Amino acid sequence: MKTDVLIIGGGPAGLNAAIETASRGIKTIIIEESYALGGQLKQQTQFFNNLPKQFDRQRGIHLMRTLIDRLSPLPITCLLKHKMIGVYKDGRIGIANDTETFPIDAKKVIVTTGAAEETDLFPGWTLPGVMTVGAAQILINRERVLPGKNALIVGLNSFSAEVAKQLKACGINILGVMDKTVSVNDKKLVEGLEDKKIRVMVNTVIERATGAGEVKKVTINNDGKKEDLDIDLICIGKGLAPILEPLEILDCEFGFQAKLGGLVPKYYSTLGTSNPSVYVAGNAAGITCLGGILLTAEIAALNALKALGVLNDNEVKVRSSFLWDELRSMESEESIETFIARVAHIKEFHEECELPLPASFHAILEGC
Amino acid sequence: MTDQYDIVIIGCGVIGSSIAYHLSEYKQKRILVIDKGFPLSGTSGSTQAWVWVHNKVPSWYGELSMYSAELYPFLERKIGDVEYKRTGGIAPFFAQTDWDKALRLAEEQAEVGIKVEVLTRDQVLEKEPALSPKIAGATYSDMDGNVNPFRLVELYIKAAKRNEVEFSFYNPVTEMVMEKDHYKIYTKNKKDAITTERVILAGGPWSKEIGELLGLDIPVKQVRGQVIITEPLAPFLKHTIGGMRQAENGEVLIGFSKEEVGYDRRTTMDVIQETAQMAINYIPSLAKANIVRSFSGVRVIPEDGFPILGKIPDKKNAYIAAMHSGVTLSPLVGTLMAELVMVGETSICLKRYSLKRFMNYA
Repeated sequence: MKTDVLIIGGGPAGLNAAIETASRGIKTIIIEESYALGGQLKQQTQFFNNLPKQFDRQRGIHLMRTLIDRLSPLPITCLLKHKMIGVYKDGRIGIANDTETFPIDAKKVIVTTGAAEETDLFPGWTLPGVMTVGAAQILINRERVLPGKNALIVGLNSFSAEVAKQLKACGINILGVMDKTVSVNDKKLVEGLEDKKIRVMVNTVIERATGAGEVKKVTINNDGKKEDLDIDLICIGKGLAPILEPLEILDCEFGFQAKLGGLVPKYYSTLGTSNPSVYVAGNAAGITCLGGILLTAEIAALNALKALGVLNDNEVKVRSSFLWDELRSMESEESIETFIARVAHIKEFHEECELPLPASFHAILEGC
Repeated sequence: MTDQYDIVIIGCGVIGSSIAYHLSEYKQKRILVIDKGFPLSGTSGSTQAWVWVHNKVPSWYGELSMYSAELYPFLERKIGDVEYKRTGGIAPFFAQTDWDKALRLAEEQAEVGIKVEVLTRDQVLEKEPALSPKIAGATYSDMDGNVNPFRLVELYIKAAKRNEVEFSFYNPVTEMVMEKDHYKIYTKNKKDAITTERVILAGGPWSKEIGELLGLDIPVKQVRGQVIITEPLAPFLKHTIGGMRQAENGEVLIGFSKEEVGYDRRTTMDVIQETAQMAINYIPSLAKANIVRSFSGVRVIPEDGFPILGKIPDKKNAYIAAMHSGVTLSPLVGTLMAELVMVGETSICLKRYSLKRFMNYA
């Protein structure tokens, strides 16, 4: 199989990148390991107010529909239930489903593998009834299964707070959302939870979870004071980390950026990595908001098109600078630290390669 | 803390850490081990970790491996449980014409006391029923086994630390200067030189680069081995089999490849597919197993295949230990190198293993 662009991961970033490349008539293949496109949007029933200009404000599941509708008239190959499993000596990408393994020869690869949830380890964390907030959200919104009756949420962030509210709306009693520390930036989150009568427990850690065959009880430690709670559901929301395996296999270099989720592939202002044929976008390029996911995908696709000789320099320059501006405002609204870390990450890699940043990028640097 | 040592060991893989531990047992010297990265981030952490004796030839080399394997149970009593398991090793062959070769191997190894049996197909299948009925036979020795390399290196380091050996990680050596009665070693993270009376090179696949710092040409190659790992399977392989073994957690580690591609830790689909195919040839039931990951290890192999051990000719108080099969040989090499440094002579003659054999004295 041959293609101009191979996109690894059919979530929001992969779909938006594919719309960009396929609408230019460029041969595009998406590899998606699950049974359907859309990635984690499949269960995001919450409303997203902060989306790029070309999208109306809408719920995650509706955005998924919007993206798939835009993509469907375009000439594109979607390989569902297919995984990238390796790279051949000659650079072709190894793809497998359950029955066969075959190579894809791609001129450019855009990695949009997204992120995985971080977990938390405590005695009893393997008991049934202990799960990530993302898993709980899949159960209520996609599988229509109530994961428990009395829940404790571990870790406070925008996603865990959102899922806490959704679980409560399903009739689950939320005993609290707990975390070791709560920063001033979380003030809005805390207020939002308290509005919904959900208790926020600061300075609190889990000592252990117990139960025979399933979780029944949890011992928490609030600033030295221990307390036992009767629960049947613990949801862990410790944030996200980029999924990097395909980038490792593709021999991309990595750098550490705590604010982007830890280890992140190094990339230029084009979102091109140290491997000249590989671009990265979405949460795989650093944990960000949905707006950031969509915009980085467009920037990566745009630059892949430029490298393929489809777009001219000037067109890319004008659109890039527009997209970067939008990315700045979008990420700043959620957390300015993400954007600052992203720009620092890019600047570092340009300096390391002694490659000057494009002129349009200087204005962005000054803005930080 | 001064930066003066009696002995500096460069490289903290299975060999460097074993030498450090064995030297520290004498409790006489100030010892520092320097590594460019972190222990187990290189070769010693990317191995199937066999303790493999039976087809190491010629027999004098097999003998070295045998003595080292014999030391493992004693080592465990001193440094703790390294999960050494003497499983016995099976090296199957498919061609009837390999019978003679197998018999010759058994004969040769018997001369030094390595017991190798040549098994018929039925005998092999009785020992290891999962093997393919297509094999013609196998050589077998009860001396072979495997070890957990992570525990091994960690426990060498812990035991050495208890004996006050110091360690400096993420600190590549950049320069070495030989002065009248000591060496000055410059590293990336320290402004001032580290001074030491003696230096031991244990750089594994980086031995060439480290040797160059002393103006030496260490004749070693870097060889990549790609290993694939299955999902955890119910225990079904009792022995260490040529090319594969089942780990304690049920995963089967499989690897046959050897490539000279420099220090490139990537895996390639070509080799992964070949490796999987070979595994199925050996054990047909593996065709149904899922492969969950793969990794590459870059091993060191001296040009002639045999260990380079001992004093470095023409360099005062400088030593080298570079070899393939570092996991198998580490208990013995640690013991012998410590004897050489502390006593000046070794209980097994190392003359055959000297770097001198590669040097051209025109």
